[in-house]
Amino acid sequence: MRDNSRISASVTSPRESWEAATPVGLVPDGKKVLVAIRDLHKGFGNRYVLRGVSLDVYQGETLVILGGSGSGKTTLIRHLMGMLTPDSGTLRVALADGRAMDLARANEDELGAWRRRLGVVFQGAALLNSLTVLENVGLPLVEVDGLPADHVRNRVVAALHRVYLPAEEILHLKPANLSGGMRKRVGIARAIIQEPEVILYDEPTTGLDPVTVNGVNELTLDLQRRLKVTSIVITHDLDAAFHIADRIAMLYKGRIIALGTTDTIRQDPNPVLQQLLTGSTTGPLTDNMLQGQRTP
Amino acid sequence: MSLHGETGMFRRNTTFSLEAIEHGPAGQAASKVGGTLLRRASRAGRIVLLFLDACGQLPHVRRSLTTVVSQIEMAGVGSILVLSLIAFLTGSIMAVQTGAELVKIINTADNLGAIIGATFVRELGPIWAAIIMLARVGAAMAAQLGTMAVNEEIDALRVMSINPVRYLVMPRILALVIAMPLLTTIADWVGMAGGAMISSVMFNVSVDTYMQSAKGILTGIDFFSGLAKSAVFGAIIATIACDRGMHTTDGAEGVGRSTTEAVVLSVVWVLIADLIMTSFIQMVLY
Repeated sequence: MRDNSRISASVTSPRESWEAATPVGLVPDGKKVLVAIRDLHKGFGNRYVLRGVSLDVYQGETLVILGGSGSGKTTLIRHLMGMLTPDSGTLRVALADGRAMDLARANEDELGAWRRRLGVVFQGAALLNSLTVLENVGLPLVEVDGLPADHVRNRVVAALHRVYLPAEEILHLKPANLSGGMRKRVGIARAIIQEPEVILYDEPTTGLDPVTVNGVNELTLDLQRRLKVTSIVITHDLDAAFHIADRIAMLYKGRIIALGTTDTIRQDPNPVLQQLLTGSTTGPLTDNMLQGQRTP
Repeated sequence: MSLHGETGMFRRNTTFSLEAIEHGPAGQAASKVGGTLLRRASRAGRIVLLFLDACGQLPHVRRSLTTVVSQIEMAGVGSILVLSLIAFLTGSIMAVQTGAELVKIINTADNLGAIIGATFVRELGPIWAAIIMLARVGAAMAAQLGTMAVNEEIDALRVMSINPVRYLVMPRILALVIAMPLLTTIADWVGMAGGAMISSVMFNVSVDTYMQSAKGILTGIDFFSGLAKSAVFGAIIATIACDRGMHTTDGAEGVGRSTTEAVVLSVVWVLIADLIMTSFIQMVLY
């Protein structure tokens, strides 16, 4: 439960909104910073997962956050959903009126306003198994917007067509009756049905066959082009990352160790990044595992 | 910190140092007990807060009516048969045992209606309904919500700005608070019917004599206190099941653990609530 008494602490005026959060790097022409993460730290017990993450997300881009297992990707994305509070650091998001809001200090109402602009595609789609496809995709329209049934049905059919699913055939099926790829697409349809400005993808291609992986990648690009959304993709799938990304950020041991376009990332001499890109079994990633080091 | 210097009685590094005590077997045992008590108290507090949060969502009940009705159907309708069977058998067994002793002592079993009626209406009806409900429905609720938790479905609700307490918990608590008194009433009547059957067959007590005996002892307070108890038991069972389910971690193993914990905790807290309410009823209302 968030502290409702700290309303003013999280939302700042336009002038001070970004002054305290100078861009991590040069902001490209015509781009606007939508999310500014500064020195984010998060630990669970004695385990430090995020150890000073700083990152900007530009409006309209597809940013892929790459990292191995345990690098902190999921923890980072859960901060962006407002599900976790950092131990220190800030997570400022630009509001529609030009002000900034720090998700780390937002109360439940303010988080609701941010989440209203957000669509999330979970790793396993996270469809409610007791509901049909129609009920799942239409859930936010019914429960949040209070729309009537016929209006919801039309919007659901449109959303399913947007993700290239045969809407009429699957509306009354339950998630257990769908393939993995179809469930993922239904999850994407649910994420876009309220026309979000930002879509978070948590490992969108994990567990899918190569053909379906390509389908999901193409769909991600297609949605960005058509809906003009900002996409933040968490993945360890290199092919998917280089296929869809405008920029790639590499997360390693809770820190961003590389950030740039696909070309600059390929040429980055960082040994951890190069080992991940080449898939080599020798290097700093595997040296740590073999030595059984525990990161303090 | 060590005890030394002032009285000159103790040397440094004495085995009586508080550090030694803290890290010794006694200290570690005390630390474990203290930690367990704190965790249990924290969980109990969390359950109370969840119940209060669910009560706060009652103004939105109209949006959840479909869920409430389906939960009542699952909890209530699905439990009638097994509860009726258990209540009938319990009433019959009580009649056999008690009737035999009554005949030995006072040569008549005419008071069986009063004994079985009072026992069922005041205690056994609500308790049996609670046990069937927590074993059947409480476990299922914990398992369902636990599966939703490990599959990130509850996170998905939060991200869609749908309050999981309003959408999942409140309807379940309300459903059990409504269903339990209805099931208790069924248990009371079926239990008394079982007793009536045995009384008639084994001890030649007519149904009319049996029912007159029951009417002679039972009052309105008995019926309403029994129903009130059952409503409270329903709230306890649903709240504990939802709490355990929503805080499930560690995949399938965690779901199993949450289900078991929900049942065990519900049994304990139903009996504690029964003791408190029975004591209050006896001291204040009678």
